[in-house]
Amino acid sequence: MTRTPICLTSDIPSNGMKECEAGGGLKLLIANSGDDYFAYQAVCPHQDVPLCEGLYDGSVLTCHQHLWQWDIRTGAAIGLAEAPLGFYEVKVEDGKVYVLAPSVLKLAALFAGLSEATLAELERIAVRETVTAGVALYRIGDPTEDIYVLVSGRVNFVIGREERTTAAGFALKKGEVFGWNALLDQYPHRIAAATCLEESTLLRINGRQMIRVLEADPAGGFLVMRRLSSQINRYLVTSGAK
Amino acid sequence: MKIQVNARNRAFQFEAQDKEQVLFSGLRSGIDLPYECATGTCGTCKAKLIEGKIYDPWPEAPGHRYLKREQGEFLMCQCAARTDITVEVGNFVYSMNPGACLPRSEFGVIRGATRLTHDVIGLKIEADTPQDFDAGQFMGLAIPGVPGYRGYSMVNFERRTRRLEFVIKKKPDGRISEWLFNPASTVEGTAVGLIGPLGHATFFPGLARNILCIAGGSGIAGMMAILARGLQERYFDQYKGFVFFGVRTMADAFYLEELSRFRQAFERNLRIVVALSDEDVTPECRQQHPALEFEKGMVHEVAARLMKGQYQNVRAYLAGPPPAVDAAIRTLIVEAKLTTDNIAYDKFS
Repeated sequence: MTRTPICLTSDIPSNGMKECEAGGGLKLLIANSGDDYFAYQAVCPHQDVPLCEGLYDGSVLTCHQHLWQWDIRTGAAIGLAEAPLGFYEVKVEDGKVYVLAPSVLKLAALFAGLSEATLAELERIAVRETVTAGVALYRIGDPTEDIYVLVSGRVNFVIGREERTTAAGFALKKGEVFGWNALLDQYPHRIAAATCLEESTLLRINGRQMIRVLEADPAGGFLVMRRLSSQINRYLVTSGAK
Repeated sequence: MKIQVNARNRAFQFEAQDKEQVLFSGLRSGIDLPYECATGTCGTCKAKLIEGKIYDPWPEAPGHRYLKREQGEFLMCQCAARTDITVEVGNFVYSMNPGACLPRSEFGVIRGATRLTHDVIGLKIEADTPQDFDAGQFMGLAIPGVPGYRGYSMVNFERRTRRLEFVIKKKPDGRISEWLFNPASTVEGTAVGLIGPLGHATFFPGLARNILCIAGGSGIAGMMAILARGLQERYFDQYKGFVFFGVRTMADAFYLEELSRFRQAFERNLRIVVALSDEDVTPECRQQHPALEFEKGMVHEVAARLMKGQYQNVRAYLAGPPPAVDAAIRTLIVEAKLTTDNIAYDKFS
């Protein structure tokens, strides 16, 4: 985990916020709340409006364009907001704010609550790949070996049932996990297709290896499998959902 | 043409007519696609083309600054399908409620244009067929020779009516106002295009909340419709109403007689305050309009001052120039701690 200095604590007004440059063109919103500092994506997930132009009272951040709101402590969506804010871990030392390079696995809802050790183990077996726009990651009927986590870019996801493919495709977003039937026994073929809409970076994890990691952490593994079963259930209930 | 919209929650399919904008064909089919201004400015209706071909009649529309065009993003309020198309929107989209007033395109004739101040005109239009709309909604208005629609809120509120009233403020370089304010133009009797009703900042009595209206200049139009519906239903016998109308000087104020009549109908629960930003309040204007209150200051500041401690169970409606609306939003969220679902406005920038 690398750390990048991003600003001085004195740069950020008390219970205020500021947009800062984190290097490599990455812009982050740094907010103060009491003794704590938080870092988020600098633009609204809705329409790319700079969040530093929004309203902030020390606990709730509001984008002034369409009044989407977030809890500054978690980035969770409140009220009208339809998406959470991308969260970056920070550390404060000697009056400086550092951003810790985030692990995308931490953003994945499927893995939320896993222990640091298990996440690190998953990170170790993951292969990072960059794929150009238009490339099909897999098609319906392909063998299922790997599960994917989207790090950046966008992937279109179309799910099929027997011969039929539902009309709706879905654009997956950062932190979303797909190709999860690599985790299921007795389902050797893909039931969905995934295609990169733009240049995308992915973590590819071998399904069998991942099962072994989860077996070594039964509590965490149970959590992941329980989430996975509700995800599949949602697909059964609303045709076309992920 | 067949249109498919893939939203975050589900997919919708509907038919579009030749040259019909994707947004309007969807709304007409009862699908609540995302939009605010519906006239090419705000960028809220952006979508991404996945398959098929579209036509963009106005590539210079200001809303393009919100788009990533190299990724196929376009404005649904402007573009029409040239083939069957599939598009994607990043929002959750739902079907409209049964009974929602579905927008459609229509023609009408201008039946009257009255100067309300030196730079504001009250426009009366007779639609070719009866219209249904909610209080607070607007229509897109197109005049001959000017491409595209401009949005104006209805001042009146009636069901199944052919009468539509609007307030139009003169804008520098605005092509509709240039024509309308030119004494050489033949305004009365001119046929115009209409599309609507549009807009989400609507008032209906089932809300069961106290109503706060903050309007700058011509933004008072939609508030007049809210008050008209409130009067028809005797809404303010039960709930409180607070109306703040901001203008620069008394010479810029209009509708003061009409506002006085609303206030006289609800002496106990309705409060109407005219805020003058650039001029001191004189005893004469208080004498001339005894039903109204007058205060010096920017309208959001006056509202913040007078509303202190009165935000319980309030739903706020905002309209006017974008900086005035933004300032009012800031006040309502940061100071009044209103939740965002109780702040209603349609964004035009």
